[in-house]
Amino acid sequence: MRIIVLAETQKALTELCAGASQISAQVEAVIIGDRLKPAADTIWHIPAQENALLEDYTETIAALIKQEQPGLVIVEPTKRYKLIAGRIAALLGTSVITDILELGEDLAAERMVYGGAALRTEKAASGCTIAMAGSGLWKAGTATETAVREEKTVQFIEPGIRVKRIAREEKESMAVDLPGARVVVGVGRGIAEQKDLEMIRQLARAVNGEIGCTRPIAEAEKWMPKETYLGVSGLMIAPEIYIAIGISGQIQHTVGINRSKLVIAVNKEKNAPIFKQSDYGIVGDLYKVVPALLKHFG
Amino acid sequence: MKIITCFKVVPEEQDIAIKADGELSFDRAKPTISAYDLNGVEAGAQLLEECGGELIALSAGAGSIDSPKLKKNILSRGPGSLAMVADDRLQGLDTHQTAEVLKAAIEKIGEYDLILCGEGSSDLYAQQVGPQLGQLLNIPAINAISKITAADGKIVVQRTLENEVETLEITLPALVTVTTDINLPRIATMNHILAAGKKPSTVWALEDIGIPEPPRTIEVIDTRAPRQVERKQDIVEGDTDDAIQEFISKLSAVLAK
Repeated sequence: MRIIVLAETQKALTELCAGASQISAQVEAVIIGDRLKPAADTIWHIPAQENALLEDYTETIAALIKQEQPGLVIVEPTKRYKLIAGRIAALLGTSVITDILELGEDLAAERMVYGGAALRTEKAASGCTIAMAGSGLWKAGTATETAVREEKTVQFIEPGIRVKRIAREEKESMAVDLPGARVVVGVGRGIAEQKDLEMIRQLARAVNGEIGCTRPIAEAEKWMPKETYLGVSGLMIAPEIYIAIGISGQIQHTVGINRSKLVIAVNKEKNAPIFKQSDYGIVGDLYKVVPALLKHFG
Repeated sequence: MKIITCFKVVPEEQDIAIKADGELSFDRAKPTISAYDLNGVEAGAQLLEECGGELIALSAGAGSIDSPKLKKNILSRGPGSLAMVADDRLQGLDTHQTAEVLKAAIEKIGEYDLILCGEGSSDLYAQQVGPQLGQLLNIPAINAISKITAADGKIVVQRTLENEVETLEITLPALVTVTTDINLPRIATMNHILAAGKKPSTVWALEDIGIPEPPRTIEVIDTRAPRQVERKQDIVEGDTDDAIQEFISKLSAVLAK
């Protein structure tokens, strides 16, 4: 089965190509310009166009997929590619299966639905499956070194519609790598004030971990960056150890952390659902427990 | 400005029950408006207040979405009228089918300047209907919009991506999908709810919008609750000094590894 990989970042491109090579002998990557270097059997190279957004290559990529008819198109789940993949699917008369967690040999894909309450297995009805997946899909581990065997140039198709970009600003980059962290400390509504986050940050440092949060802390209180909330529509992580501080354990949050090897919880509510999903826990006031932890581990 | 704001009717998430065999039960889950679409409706209502014009709410789904309560709910939030394709042949649509039906309904409505969608639906969250619909209508379509400013014959939008924020100028007609932080959807007052009952709504079947039942592009094989991970549940009760020390000694053992 031929697989075409579409990715925006080098990390995802490398990992998706390596993963795809485990299930297919024919891994192909679409590369725009010369910024990214894939390890694929075939590279479809689209020359970079002046002042073009990534979105302006949609028609070109759609035409390539139509012509080459791969069995699977695997796409990095960035926002730009969510738009592009959706438009490609519309041109091809199919739907994209987004944010998949598993992919079976028969290309049945598993994704989370109903805010994490359920997993759903879906399959494309047509011959070509378009799925979006993060690097966790295939246990990449050993990135098999595939030498690029052939490189073909794809004729750019001028899009019928272009939008004009008038400004662009890099976001302040987060110094944290939550998905890659061995220990993650998560903070929820149990903390009373934004300044108390400092104590949680110290704890994270003390245990060589990174800090994440629940959605209300990021979106309602805006005490932490939106990129650090864990759960449905946020990050899905699988660290060795997850320490939930003042987190009740709503499903919307726990789906993001339940692949952690070990879960530890601090919460003053004895009946908080988080305890049922924890290996170790303490029913107590975090304002007593966290300082004690800092004293011991700090 | 003539604006169409699309919304999906979804089962109330917190009332979805999980049965012993892992199957889901929707018996107690009442239909409601997908939370993310409320941001689209609010964005439309704010544009309407700013530049005048018309705001139409549009949905497609099974016959059951044609409910007086849902109609009042959506119309109390700013739209002046409502159009629905409510047809039992439209049960559990995939994203391509949804976009096909919405496209036909929009063409039936006629001219428009702007189509608004939420970023994704709160039940399935595929985030695909907006991009698909924009492509099918052959108009500019951009997702992840966190701010909209109306200008002459165009909009200037702020788009918030993973590592960058860009400002785009989009010629109308166009489609945008909006993020949850673009606004805080208003809570309808009693007056708005009463007024909503008097606003016009149109309900169509597939025949009325002139398309056959769109073919399925995705097969759903199975939907079930995820298996719970077995946890030790070794929980210390109370926050006395002794209890905390006990907790710390348990943690020391695992954190040291």
